[in-house]
Amino acid sequence: MGAECRYEVAQAAYIKLVLHALKHRASPVGGLLVGRLFEDNASTVQIADAIPLTHSQIGLLPSLELALIQVEEHFGAEGFSVVGYYHANERYDDAELGNAAKKIGDHIFRYFPRAALLLLDNNRLEELLKGKERDLVVQLYTRDSSKSWHQAGSDGSSQLTMKGPSANVLLLDYISSEKWQNIVDFDDHLDDISKDWLNPNLFE
Amino acid sequence: MVGAAEEAQLNRLESQVDNGGGGVWEYLCLVRKLKARRSEKVLKHGLSILNDPKSRSRLGGDEWTLYEQVAIAAMDCQWLDVAKDCIATLSKKFTGSLRVGRLEAMLLEAKGAWADAEKAYARLLEDNPLDQAMHKRKVAMAKAQGNISAAVDFLNKYLEIFMADHDAWRELAEIYVSLQMYKQAAFCYEELILSQPTVPLYHLAYAEVLYTMGGLENLQAAKKYYASTINLTGGKNTRALYGVCLVRYPGYFTHGFSPS
Repeated sequence: MGAECRYEVAQAAYIKLVLHALKHRASPVGGLLVGRLFEDNASTVQIADAIPLTHSQIGLLPSLELALIQVEEHFGAEGFSVVGYYHANERYDDAELGNAAKKIGDHIFRYFPRAALLLLDNNRLEELLKGKERDLVVQLYTRDSSKSWHQAGSDGSSQLTMKGPSANVLLLDYISSEKWQNIVDFDDHLDDISKDWLNPNLFE
Repeated sequence: MVGAAEEAQLNRLESQVDNGGGGVWEYLCLVRKLKARRSEKVLKHGLSILNDPKSRSRLGGDEWTLYEQVAIAAMDCQWLDVAKDCIATLSKKFTGSLRVGRLEAMLLEAKGAWADAEKAYARLLEDNPLDQAMHKRKVAMAKAQGNISAAVDFLNKYLEIFMADHDAWRELAEIYVSLQMYKQAAFCYEELILSQPTVPLYHLAYAEVLYTMGGLENLQAAKKYYASTINLTGGKNTRALYGVCLVRYPGYFTHGFSPS
């Protein structure tokens, strides 16, 4: 099910999730991944966008359910659906995928069996900020029939690739211009409903 | 806990200060009062005052409070040399002070020297066993090292003595939620609601935990607490309004994403 599956991340999704994590450095952050299966290649999942969800209580259901409803409603018309979840841990040296993230992943897995979990890799992010990192700063986790989440790449199956070149260069650009200040997540939207969780003008 | 109006005021001051419009001291005082965590800005603007002898002398006695505030902000941003200098200045002025001793132990924490920090706190606590801030640093250290169960332990012991500390109850509730121990989190919110029944935040948080726990009784209780939040906030709280709708049809609209 999850074996031999490729995941192609769009630049916008990747950059959004890193900026979201940088905006809230002292708390865990999480968000949904939106995308679809590639038509001509059914073993590749296209992750087209990332919707920042929360920077506070990751383990609570109401705002997660609310976000799922609204995201499905908005993106369903374009043929996209929720294909995964991204997460960044609260502490710098915590490189484990926590239980809350796994539970959310399990929910998504029920409706999209190739669901992906992306965990921000803090070490790689630090290297990136020093200008020394070439790889993507996220780790991919997929779930197979054994009901547990495995890190991709350790056994050769499931790969994460970036759509388009030099995403890290663009990311560094945005970081230096402090673009993360402008990112709005679902939490912000619930606190002030005029803030748009779609972040439509983020990259202008 | 920062309300929307206060946060707006804080942001306004912050952009005013950032754009060179003055009001730095007002901003720093507001950050201190609201206990907001804006370490980068505090560091930048606080240092600009401290490094200018004229502005520094204009502060009078408040100068030392600023040193403390900047020291903590510096530790948060890992500018440890700046922190060390500030603490040294404070130490010269207030030798043997408990408050300065706490800052020195915090500096050890910031450096990652956990064992030394623990010894320092233990020593300080011997002479001052009822210092709340010191007890809470122990919790913070456990949390920072990833030892969540120790943090929970310390926090529970702390609350047995200082059971009126609302911030501590909130922190404990949030830790329980992160561990998915919802029943225990609910207990914490119940304590908070009992002692401060007119604070809508606790009603809302309690409702969200109940909703997450699921089951008919919990959902009905959640509905009641969402309703009381709406009552207490005059209908202005979006989460509570959404919550009241969600409890009617839990999981109905999300194609089966039901609360487990």
